Amino acid sequence: MDNLAYIEAYCNKELSPEGKKEFEQKIISDPVFAEEMAFYLSSLEAAASEMTKEKERFKVVYQQYKQGDRANRPQRGLVRRIVPWAAVAAVLAAVIFSWSSLFAPASLHQIADKYVKENFQTLSVTMGSNEDSLQAGLGLFNEGRLDQALKQFESLAIRDTSSVEAKKYAGIVSLRLGQYDKAINYFSQFENDTRLYANPGKFLHALTLLKRNSPDDKQAARMLLEQVVQNDLEGKAPAQDWLKKW
Amino acid sequence: MPFKQTTPPAFDRDIIQKLLQDGIDRKKGEEQLFSQYAYFIEQAMHKYSFPEDEAFNIYADTIIAAIARITNHSFEGRSSLKTWLFQIFHHKCVDLIRKKATNKSSVHRAQSISVIFLQMADTAKTVIQEMMEKTDKSQLMQKLEEIGDNCRRILMQWAEGYSDKEIAASMDYKTADVVKTSRLRCLEKLKQLYKVSIK
Repeated sequence: MDNLAYIEAYCNKELSPEGKKEFEQKIISDPVFAEEMAFYLSSLEAAASEMTKEKERFKVVYQQYKQGDRANRPQRGLVRRIVPWAAVAAVLAAVIFSWSSLFAPASLHQIADKYVKENFQTLSVTMGSNEDSLQAGLGLFNEGRLDQALKQFESLAIRDTSSVEAKKYAGIVSLRLGQYDKAINYFSQFENDTRLYANPGKFLHALTLLKRNSPDDKQAARMLLEQVVQNDLEGKAPAQDWLKKW
Repeated sequence: MPFKQTTPPAFDRDIIQKLLQDGIDRKKGEEQLFSQYAYFIEQAMHKYSFPEDEAFNIYADTIIAAIARITNHSFEGRSSLKTWLFQIFHHKCVDLIRKKATNKSSVHRAQSISVIFLQMADTAKTVIQEMMEKTDKSQLMQKLEEIGDNCRRILMQWAEGYSDKEIAASMDYKTADVVKTSRLRCLEKLKQLYKVSIK
């Protein structure tokens, strides 16, 4: 045991140069000690061979595992394997969606929506107008009190059936409120009135149809817009523009 | 407070039972254990960018260490075999990364007899080489199989280049000194067995 520790110190280069020389001298002069050193190294060699043998055996198992057993073993880390592909798919979907929302041509419904937002958020109040009820309704509309504004215009339209303005505004408020049938009803009441200097009835009717977007609304809106353009009615410029995008 | 020992799953129980037997059953158990978690190799290749042979070596060392601990009953079953094996494997991977980072990879290289001979004066070397040639290698290998599983595995890890500290960690010895004492005792035991066999 003592000799083994001494041999190990030599092999691990723990001896001083003098100690090393002394050790090697002992190998030459002491056959029993030399035999012990030879056995130490032979054991090291044997243990290394044993380890190699064991690993070779496992290498065969590993090759078998790689070739055949892989198909039979449970799919481990399936989620981990899918996640990167799912992430790529999600990014692609996001890019395609962004591209389509940014660059794809807007639908007629979207165009109509945009027109309403840009033009019917506030309505101009005519200062010094005699029609106080109409001005009150416009005031309510501009304050965002749409329900009350609608009541105001509707009562005015009932009181004065000849008031195109009351019907026009009642229709516009209804459009803003999403009450498209009611809006169409109001616009239809004056859209064929040829006495008017500027009649936006057909254009507003078409606009409401595009907003409602029911199955036949698009075709009906197109016909109305064509009439607007042909008869040079109010709303001709946007009507021409929209017809180009049809 | 002692840890609550849970009942191992059926696979764990079956493997442990096989590993505690001798002969063909034991070998089957070892190979079954190896292939069950062989996907650790692929994981290490991806996670740590180890080449396949390096990942394989770490995994094989893990399995060899695990078998040693199961057979000497130091696996207590506090966790599943998978969790326990992964811990050993992970530690070995981290150790290797550290060794690579500190340029100490040579520490984990099989002890080479040629390196020992390199430092030896020629006269002494000739004496040793002549004596080694006379050694009955097949007899020595056979005695290595007979010295007991623990001894055999300690010597195998020593030959693989693991330090006593690393052997202590993987085979559940208290300290590196205990490993050193045990290792030298194993060598002594091997020598006695071999001497008796060649007489």
